Amino acid sequence: MNGEALIKKEKKKVPIVEGLFTWPSDKPALIAARCKKCGAIVFPKAAYCPNPDCEKDPGNMEVIELSRRGKLWSWTIQRYSPPPPFKMEPFKPYAIGLVDLPEGIRVLGMLATTENLRCDMEVELTVGKLYEDGENEYITWMWKPVEDVSKK
Amino acid sequence: MERDVAIIGVGMIPWGRYPDPKNPTAYPERTMPEMAVEAIKRALEDAKISWRQVEAMVAGVYLWVSQQAGVHGILSGTAIANLMGYTGIPIVSVANACATGQSILREAVLAVASGECDIALAVAADKSAFGFFRPQSTDAKADIDYIRFVMCGETNPAYWAMECRRRMYEAGTTEEDLALVKVVTSKPAPHNPYARYQRTFTLEEVLKSPMVCDPLRLLMICSTSDGAAAVVVCEYEKAKKICKKPVYINAVTVGTPSFGDPTVRLTYTSSFKKPGVPTLSESRNAVQRVYKMAGLTPDKIDVIELPDNSSWHYFAYLDCILNLDPGEPEKMLRQGDLDPITGKIPVCPSGGIGAFGEAVVAQGLAQVCELVWQLRGEAGQRQVKKDLRHALAQTYGYAGNNAATILSKGW
Repeated sequence: MNGEALIKKEKKKVPIVEGLFTWPSDKPALIAARCKKCGAIVFPKAAYCPNPDCEKDPGNMEVIELSRRGKLWSWTIQRYSPPPPFKMEPFKPYAIGLVDLPEGIRVLGMLATTENLRCDMEVELTVGKLYEDGENEYITWMWKPVEDVSKK
Repeated sequence: MERDVAIIGVGMIPWGRYPDPKNPTAYPERTMPEMAVEAIKRALEDAKISWRQVEAMVAGVYLWVSQQAGVHGILSGTAIANLMGYTGIPIVSVANACATGQSILREAVLAVASGECDIALAVAADKSAFGFFRPQSTDAKADIDYIRFVMCGETNPAYWAMECRRRMYEAGTTEEDLALVKVVTSKPAPHNPYARYQRTFTLEEVLKSPMVCDPLRLLMICSTSDGAAAVVVCEYEKAKKICKKPVYINAVTVGTPSFGDPTVRLTYTSSFKKPGVPTLSESRNAVQRVYKMAGLTPDKIDVIELPDNSSWHYFAYLDCILNLDPGEPEKMLRQGDLDPITGKIPVCPSGGIGAFGEAVVAQGLAQVCELVWQLRGEAGQRQVKKDLRHALAQTYGYAGNNAATILSKGW
């Protein structure tokens, strides 16, 4: 109306919680820890291997980036807003999924769309905004169907 | 166990909201320790013993202490004793999420079985009636539950819905099956004075209720409630002398997960899967252990109280308890085998958590109260129509905490 929109600069995208995925990045990946002895993986990363038969030596755990593609094991649509501390402005129903990655880990996350979802479809990691203030957009990791990418 | 143990008294207060502005006479303003006192009073009356005769007490710890109750919600045992009147006995407070009720029963049983004392009390009070559960901190460094919640927006029903969708995909569970769970479990609800929702539901009502987390609708998910329950246990030989119908405790145990279980538990964001490790392992571990402790098999169980937090739970826990493949419980439900009163294996004659709304830490004890009344033949119009020998209760496994109990007639 008064021209403000014209001078609006792009806001900085800031993870709501830092250190969970590589950022800034064109190809963000979740940051996990893997046991050098048994191969067990934990996300978010932890100091000790969760395998009951592994020694509890933090030196065994190495930081890794998880595969960016996986299979959607299942999903739902959250129709009502969760209470704080969850924050999404404005709230609109969103999808949540459980994704199986080739490394043998299953990871939770929001989905970038609520449309055309099905079990076992291929999904890829991206990021999405949940809310913003005057300075920044606040983002989390999200899974998006791979098919949708080809349509763009 | 070193010494056998029996239940000689149970007591609970009606589930609901304390206070309930719409019905302040039945549901007055009460703190959790006050609710616990009322449940204890009823259990002691049922056992015909006095508070002075209780030699040890175990209390459930409230989970949502950042929202209300604070430190006294954690140190609940001594907060309750402060109201009952201190008698110097050993008191321990235990937090085990949904498994708390039967975890504290286990602690009370162990105190008696070990010979520490002859009479012990388990009590839990809870005020969970506020909708979706949430993290109890905003600590992104130390609280994975906080990270999960703000980054993934996962509510409890959202997780259950994802499990449910996969079950429908793999086992062919239908939307009508999910609705039928509510229809069937609500049948005894009008006859249970302790239930919050003392009414039945039709298939159409359930299928028309609002979608909360696809495919789960409002009437396929339990609500959250306030409630309190107490159970008095006694050394079995003594119990037979002071009680006409002591209910023998064949087994009570707690289950935790197995490493490699693919289930991404509530409060967590991932799981590392190992081939051959089943889902819901905390539940399978608990139920398999009670069978082993009791020397029984699933076909010997005559009545079940299970955690029907959602219609998905109802089927998934029948898989665990009766050792069935997904799809089989659905078939049994359709055939009427699981009718709460007239079924071959009656499930949830109390009306289940669907009729109660979950008062998290007290719910496991409420299940035990119902089975005690059923075994004694005191359940009135919701009395199961078959000869009961063995009864099994199992709770849900929030964040990997499960518990199960087997009871039988001890007279």
